[in-house]
Amino acid sequence: MKQVAVVGVGQGRFGIRCDASLRELAFEAVKACLADAQIDLGEVESMVASVASDELSFALQPSAQISDYLGFVPKPSFRVEGACASGSMAVRTGWMTVASGLADLVLVVGAEKMTEVPTATATDVLGRAGDPIWEYPFGMTFPGYYAMIARAHMARYGTTEAQLAAVAVKNHHYGALNPYAHLRKEITLEKALTAFMVASPLKLYDCCLISDGAAAILLASEAIAERFAKEPIWLSGLGLGTGTLSLSDRNDLTTLPAAAEAARQAYSMAAIGPKDVDVAVVHDCFTIAEIVAYEDLGLCPRGEGGRFVEAGETALGGAVPVNLDGGLKSKGHPIGTTGVAMAVEIVKQLRGEADPGRQVDGAAIGLSHNVGGTGQHAAVHVFSLDKGAG
Amino acid sequence: MTFRDFSLLVRDTKVDGFVEGLLRGELLASRCTGCGALAYPPRSDCPRCYNSTFEWVQITGAGRLVSFTSVFVTPRHFTPDLGNTAPFSAYRYCPAPVGIIELENGLRVMGWILGAAEAELEVGMRLSPQPEVLPDGRATVVLKPAGI
Repeated sequence: MKQVAVVGVGQGRFGIRCDASLRELAFEAVKACLADAQIDLGEVESMVASVASDELSFALQPSAQISDYLGFVPKPSFRVEGACASGSMAVRTGWMTVASGLADLVLVVGAEKMTEVPTATATDVLGRAGDPIWEYPFGMTFPGYYAMIARAHMARYGTTEAQLAAVAVKNHHYGALNPYAHLRKEITLEKALTAFMVASPLKLYDCCLISDGAAAILLASEAIAERFAKEPIWLSGLGLGTGTLSLSDRNDLTTLPAAAEAARQAYSMAAIGPKDVDVAVVHDCFTIAEIVAYEDLGLCPRGEGGRFVEAGETALGGAVPVNLDGGLKSKGHPIGTTGVAMAVEIVKQLRGEADPGRQVDGAAIGLSHNVGGTGQHAAVHVFSLDKGAG
Repeated sequence: MTFRDFSLLVRDTKVDGFVEGLLRGELLASRCTGCGALAYPPRSDCPRCYNSTFEWVQITGAGRLVSFTSVFVTPRHFTPDLGNTAPFSAYRYCPAPVGIIELENGLRVMGWILGAAEAELEVGMRLSPQPEVLPDGRATVVLKPAGI
């Protein structure tokens, strides 16, 4: 199979970005990405944009807002969507564009401006990440769905609220070290456990933020991958799974079957197993989601996720460090951006460019796990320092 | 009456009879006339045999609580201080617990849990699904402790 490499990465600051529009956020990330690869936009042949929601961006075609503002006209550009996994869909589409031979150099941009609308509107839009016909009428929200997953996990495996909070404490610790993160502050276990209830049993610090921000990566073919300023990082495994629209239609609420399927595909394509992963970013839109992710990825046995994080196995120095960028929890979750930002973080980890205090020494294989909605879509990508046999 | 009186958002479906059923006091599933597959929520098209005719089947009996939550940070239709007079915000369902039960035939039903405080709920307990018509004429599904 054709090999595809990441040859440039860039991102802007995540947060409540009252100072910038969607297109301006995208520009920040692309400018940083081009500078990282030391090329001009003129060399880029094709672009894939990820913006998850039209209702947040006030546009039917957010990709046109971005490509025009970047000065990319008239070259190929379009937008892909997969809810909160949109960014990984764009990475996957970029990989396909390069691997098919359609282009040698492709720009993948993720951008989302979520704070243009009131929180209740954003809650409403995100609540429809479940079934807008059969679940929304019960006042279900995004936290509500994951709250049901948490309750089911607690009932079956004895997972505790303190174990959920341990995810938040860890991710805030690393987010505080990340200059691009939305909420750069440490929190204590007690603060997390006594915060107000969002959707029982999930409390404020069990939930990710509503954030603005953008990220971009450049994907190159094997033929040109060595021509750029930084050493190429190979996108060696891709997996994509699909789950039922309604949570009610799942036989088991303690797993996201789409994510387990995506992991199986990605490990198989990269010819690795969970034990080979040196560093991972997983989709911690809620603390329970990170615990379920450990299990779906095979980083720990089923039901052990709560104890795994509590024992420090996913902190720096543990069995497999997870979300050393602060995760969605602390770095923020501009939904269409997240999958691209995950690629940015793993590339930085494998290059040894992560900030002091959150760099895994000698990491050679990294993994991203990105979930859309409540697991209707899930993408797992494997990144490697060494080029595979192909 | 339109389907939106249940869904809040979507007006037109091929299973509008579901809402008519709720208003009559019946909770309805669909059964494919081709292969006999039961579905809840009801659907007009069978994903198993691709037949597109179905008959209505009334749901009775109780099921086991799979999971539940109470949503405190609410979306638009359920946020009273947004000044909307709509549905459930003005009524008693916010923030009532919401749960999913699994019936003996394997169907799963989401509904507002009434007749039990959240602290009294446990995964695995038995609840029975029932239609409920609200004071404003809209319809929804509730889950009540079996026997009430």
